[in-house]
Amino acid sequence: MEASAENTGLLEARGVEVEIGGVAILRGADLRLEPGKLTAVVGPNGAGKSTLVRAVSGLQKMAAGSARWQGREVSEMRGRELAGLRAFVPQRMPVPAGITVREAVTIGRSARLRPLRRLTGEDHEGIARAMERARVTRFTERTLSTLSGGELQRVQIAIGLAQEAPVLIADEPTSQLDLGATIGVASLLRDLVGEGLAVLLVVHDLALAAAIADTVVVVSEGRTVAAGAAEQVLDHERLAAVWGADARLTSHDGRTALHVAWLQQP
Amino acid sequence: MARRTLVFAALLVALALAVIASLALGAVKVPAAEVIDILLGKGDGGSDQQIIEALRLPRTVEAMIVGAALGIAGAILQGALANPLASPDVIGVTGGAGFGAILIIILFPGSIALLPVGALFFGLLAATLVFAFAWSGRNRGSTGKVILAGIAMLSLFTAGTTGLLAAYPERAPSAIFFIAGGLTSSGWQELETIWPYFAVGFLIAACLIRPLDRLALGDDVAASLGSRPQLIRLAAGIAAALLAAASAAIAGLLGFLGLVVPHVVRMAGGTSSHTFVVPASAIGGAALLAAGDTLARTLRAPIEMPVGPFMVLLGVPLFLWLLRKAV
Repeated sequence: MEASAENTGLLEARGVEVEIGGVAILRGADLRLEPGKLTAVVGPNGAGKSTLVRAVSGLQKMAAGSARWQGREVSEMRGRELAGLRAFVPQRMPVPAGITVREAVTIGRSARLRPLRRLTGEDHEGIARAMERARVTRFTERTLSTLSGGELQRVQIAIGLAQEAPVLIADEPTSQLDLGATIGVASLLRDLVGEGLAVLLVVHDLALAAAIADTVVVVSEGRTVAAGAAEQVLDHERLAAVWGADARLTSHDGRTALHVAWLQQP
Repeated sequence: MARRTLVFAALLVALALAVIASLALGAVKVPAAEVIDILLGKGDGGSDQQIIEALRLPRTVEAMIVGAALGIAGAILQGALANPLASPDVIGVTGGAGFGAILIIILFPGSIALLPVGALFFGLLAATLVFAFAWSGRNRGSTGKVILAGIAMLSLFTAGTTGLLAAYPERAPSAIFFIAGGLTSSGWQELETIWPYFAVGFLIAACLIRPLDRLALGDDVAASLGSRPQLIRLAAGIAAALLAAASAAIAGLLGFLGLVVPHVVRMAGGTSSHTFVVPASAIGGAALLAAGDTLARTLRAPIEMPVGPFMVLLGVPLFLWLLRKAV
């Protein structure tokens, strides 16, 4: 079973096209996810990164192409089935008044419940496990409105983990976080990958993408133009061609940096 | 958690007191102990029992059902549209129901029995038009579109109502009671026609509690969890339209209740979780309307005053007090 799942991939998306209001946002994007791998989607603003992950997640209608989850087309699946295959963590969720961390994670767990059914002991264990894995156990009874940005992002990940889907998808989870909180979320995601989860991220920070991703997918002008290891995909020529930057990615001992000629056009 | 249990218990006590007062008080005062005996089927069959069973019980039950329906309608609309100003007014139901009732009162004064049907029909018609406009074109089903279409429809039907009243000023007095909102002692007759609309509305609302909690975490989280945000909003709109139109058919225009009760229970309970807010709004709305109706018909008995203004008198001070304490 394991081997065949790896052969077909958890997700196989090919030629994905999306139109929004008559404008072509995606014009042909491919994506493939495997268990225990972290995939980072990078690209300039407006390239279609978020649209791509939303389309394969079933949050955005596709105009053409296919996205198959364990062999099944996303558009043909019911919401509940899809919820068992992938969890989508938005950039920043709204924070309803008076809702505690535990309640929010419980709402995440409701994806596994039939309508009007109550939580079972197994569900409560699942909720506790999700909070532990996302490292939010220190503040489970606090309300969401009292949390810092980094804590809230980890709670959002906990809500996704409560779905117990094999794939976690996050849209720019660190874009509004400070350095310390970014490190916290990045190491959390890497540990989840170590536990066997497949993680798909939209990332702006190329140095961060290079540090945490097994595969980097570059999206430019609505197309995926490269996919592979960061050092091969994010070379000097591509940084110039896609981002219009004279920049070089360096990697040494788990430390990554982007050396940019800030005031020069290539 | 303890706070919610406390608020829930307080609401239940308030409801019990309001119901007993509503059954005990009136032209003939019946002691509370006797009221409870009659409710438990241990009455002596005397005139008190007849008054309570034939007149006051149907009216009290109507007050509870309408109060609960309006409380729930407000709670699910505010949740589904993520807007604190949402109430049955903003999806056009109130305006449509008012127009339908006034139309019957003014154009068919001989068939006043049709009033609930007219209110129900036009209330649902207005809501249908709102949803038809809000769910067409680009950005279908967005909160902004629903609210704007609702306010446009409210203006349209309110203009129609005002126009009718201006054209037939001599019949306006009989319309005032409906517009102000109030219950009547007409037995079970109205409920016998209208109950299915309440039943369907309550059922959909019960099924919406969990989806609304998902929607509170945003459309994306709701979609991640397998819900369809636009479908949740549509179902909430349909349930609220049914509950509010059926309420207007029985008790006139009491829109204020649907707006305020969910806010009061949210502020009192300190949470916006729908597993708390929806049932608490039902009990709170029932208690408020039962109490308001009792006051409205006893304060200057035998003159019955419309309950709408009394509920506002009861509810607004409480609302403002809680609002001052809320962050």
